[in-house]
Amino acid sequence: MEARLDWATVLIAALLYLTALFAIAHWADRREAAERSVIASPTVFALSLGVYCTTWTFYGSVGRAATLGIGFLPVYLGPTLLMLLAPLVLRKILRIAKAQRITSIADFLASRYGHSPLLGGLVALTATVGVTPYIALQLKAVAVSFTALTGGGLGTTTGAFLAPFLDQGFLIAAVMALFAIVFGARQIDAAEHHPGMVAAIALESLVKLVAFLAVGIFVVWGLHGGLDSLFATAANRPDLIRLMGSEPALGTAGSGGGPWGAWVATTILSAAAMLCLPRQFQVMVIESVEERHLDRAVWLFPLYLLLINLFVLPVALSGLLTFGGELDPDLFMVALPLNGGAGWLALLAFLGGLSAAAGMIVVESVALSTMLCNDLVVPILLRTRPQALARSADLAPLLLAVRRVAIVAILLFGYGYFRLAGSAYALVSIGLISFAAVAQFAPALIGGLYWRRGTRRGAIGGVAAGTLIWAYTLLLPSFARSGWLPASFIADGPWGIAALRPYALFGLESWDTLAHALFWTALANIGAYVGLSLFDRQGAAERAQAAAFVDVFHSAPDATAPPRGTPPDWRSAASVGDLTRMVARFLGPQRAERAFAGADPDEPAGPERLRLAERLLAGAIGGASARVALASSVSTGAVEAAELLRMLDETSDVIAHSRELERKTAELERATDALRTANERLTELDRLKDDFLSTVTHELRTPLTSIRALSEILYDDPDLESEQRQEFLAVIIKESERLTRLINQVLDMAKIEAGALDWRIETIDAGRALAEAVAATEALFRERGIALSVEIPDRLPPVRGDVDRVIQVVVNLLSNAAKFTPPGGRTRLKAHLDGDALRVMVADSGPGVAAKDRELVFDRFRQSGSALTGKPAGTGLGLAIAKRIVEHLGGRIGVEDAPAGPPPESGRGAAFWFTLPLADRAFGHDMEEQPARHRED
Amino acid sequence: MSGPDHTPEPRRYRDRMIGLFLLAAALFNPPLLGLFGVEGTILGMPALYGWVFGLWAAVIALAALAGRAR
Repeated sequence: MEARLDWATVLIAALLYLTALFAIAHWADRREAAERSVIASPTVFALSLGVYCTTWTFYGSVGRAATLGIGFLPVYLGPTLLMLLAPLVLRKILRIAKAQRITSIADFLASRYGHSPLLGGLVALTATVGVTPYIALQLKAVAVSFTALTGGGLGTTTGAFLAPFLDQGFLIAAVMALFAIVFGARQIDAAEHHPGMVAAIALESLVKLVAFLAVGIFVVWGLHGGLDSLFATAANRPDLIRLMGSEPALGTAGSGGGPWGAWVATTILSAAAMLCLPRQFQVMVIESVEERHLDRAVWLFPLYLLLINLFVLPVALSGLLTFGGELDPDLFMVALPLNGGAGWLALLAFLGGLSAAAGMIVVESVALSTMLCNDLVVPILLRTRPQALARSADLAPLLLAVRRVAIVAILLFGYGYFRLAGSAYALVSIGLISFAAVAQFAPALIGGLYWRRGTRRGAIGGVAAGTLIWAYTLLLPSFARSGWLPASFIADGPWGIAALRPYALFGLESWDTLAHALFWTALANIGAYVGLSLFDRQGAAERAQAAAFVDVFHSAPDATAPPRGTPPDWRSAASVGDLTRMVARFLGPQRAERAFAGADPDEPAGPERLRLAERLLAGAIGGASARVALASSVSTGAVEAAELLRMLDETSDVIAHSRELERKTAELERATDALRTANERLTELDRLKDDFLSTVTHELRTPLTSIRALSEILYDDPDLESEQRQEFLAVIIKESERLTRLINQVLDMAKIEAGALDWRIETIDAGRALAEAVAATEALFRERGIALSVEIPDRLPPVRGDVDRVIQVVVNLLSNAAKFTPPGGRTRLKAHLDGDALRVMVADSGPGVAAKDRELVFDRFRQSGSALTGKPAGTGLGLAIAKRIVEHLGGRIGVEDAPAGPPPESGRGAAFWFTLPLADRAFGHDMEEQPARHRED
Repeated sequence: MSGPDHTPEPRRYRDRMIGLFLLAAALFNPPLLGLFGVEGTILGMPALYGWVFGLWAAVIALAALAGRAR
């Protein structure tokens, strides 16, 4: 227990380490300048997210595990869950931040809600109040661990606050302020990256992980001889075995209250904090080099969290076994190696803790100073001292000074709080309290990404209401528990009003304090945000920004893209010279020269240049301030500030509208194309229908005419010879049959087209169907003097089909052949197996079908006869019906040149063929494999 | 108007990650989590501890796989 290190050794090691960080940061900045960036790597990006793990993780997790068992985990499971949603949420935020040149989360929210300076200021203030005490906690952790390592006695922390030689807290604060100023507030454009800072953070993440793993391995295998024996030893202690179960973290199974709520609340708050903590937003969004780096961080960062938590419970158990209740569990990380005689490991653990503190302090102070400068100080300056600002030609030094002063002020505030609060509850519990504070930004942030109608007043109301409830249910009670407010504030409520007790608001008793606060703040925050938004109207500028955020993936990739054409009522008053001076004032003359190179200073600026200037300024002083600054730039000139703001809003609105318009135009064009195609098709169909009608009418009229003529003769001349009479009647009957057939075909076609035909698809004997079709048409061929040869094998396998329809197809094909084969010609009907289908062919010795007509002959209303012989030879429906039937039965149909037949034959003729699927497909293959036997048969 | 440049993510990857999120949210929270707090040990670790870290690692592996299989 008396083991300790010399304070000078520790101090020198710490200073050497910090110097190394400065060197790394400097090197990374140099590399960036030489365009060989070290931070443009997905692994560095994922590691830099490790700034999430502060000393609260490094030392505090062990402390939480010592009382809550696995209850330390929700703080890391929450971010893991959030990262799983990164492809959805974070990607969108990144895209927006790039397009809008966002500088901080305050700027993000302000820009989303119509560049509202009020919202930006509110967010900046809330974040500062909520997070600065957290910085104090880091300072304290470093100071306490330093004391634990060097003296002051293990277990007593009081000596840490005024060590005789140096105040470590102040030293750390000073070094960190220097680092933040050098690497975090050097360039004026806050939307650009800080490669030095990010590289140092990534390295620190690595150091704290290695340190934690080294201590864990030493404790488990060095001190206890493995996990088994450590857990076995701990299991003998009744006070320790409960830490290995779920009871301390989740309560007893089945009980709804108790720690249950704390677990869920901590998970939700941690996920929200991962998104909304200023430092997380800084490394994840502002410093992000490329969107696709997110893809690796999605799993690498959760893996980091898993690894750094792997040994938390073993270290906690080991510490409790070794020190009992004598030592603050937060110090186990340093005390265990020290006690085990591994001084160098204790030093490494201290450096790990120092890394955790340093990373958090630097990024947090840079992020907060940017917010305070851009969203609080600059808007106030612009409003209160516009003349003074206007007189200055170059405001960049002033802005940098504001940021640097802000960094120093934040760290001084943090240090002061650390000295003031010491080990008070308010400081110890600040981790989750500050998570709850920044979680108040989440509804407006998430809502702003997906809900276009979320309004400025809604967001301000939500953040304000949530923050007030947060202060009342978490911050003030923590003051009371620290003894700064009377204890009765918690027990009896203010002025003894029981309904206002901060831990049991409106009588919501026996909830976990965190879950209780989460419930009330979420209710007030989301309620106000949604409620106010629903009864609010957005102005033009607000609507434009809302659209730019919500539709970021649908809009043009380049947000600076000017609207097509200029609104006719645009009256540009500011000149290019005005804008150049304005941009130069904030960003320096070179930047301004580059932006407006080649333009005549006296030329009117126009909307595009105005937007460019706004964007440039937004990167430096935030979106809200940029607008005010632009307005003030010309307020002394011809145009009034309000007028210019109106123009700017209109420009944004026009851009949003023009994007919307472009999208609609494209949709309209597509629709028009589709419509045109449909129309052409309809016209064609209409023409075909007309043709068909005239054909059908003609076809109907021919038999009708002869029927009528013959009937009239029979009617007028009762004395007609009976032979003659019989002959006439025979013609009438034949013509009537033809009419019936024609009408049947038209009806069939209509039915098939409408899908109203009844199909009876079953296994059928194709041979019988073919024979029936032949029988039905034999007379026709005989009549016309055409030889019909039928080649059907005796044993045809059964096929799937509808007997009546198959017959109809063959009849149609045969009648078609009969129609086109000249008298004395020859028609062949042939069936054979073709793969797993039956192929039927009807070949004639007619004129054939030209290659270009082969597709067309199957079209409805097409008549090959008309094209080939000049006069219609049928209804043009037979083949169309056949095609539809065959296709419905799962076969194919086509026409080719007839195979060369025996002479004498003029022309090749046409061979119509179709296939039908076999009922048993395997059968077809069997038949193919044994063709010989078939032939022998 | 969603050309390849403007689509946020291939839809399948996005949907898989949402599914993984829902699964993990269910697994990492009571009441499911409480069911693992049984007696016994896994690889020398208390069962609950082993379960939570095992599930956590599995979720991470699935997230990495989903990104790779895209």
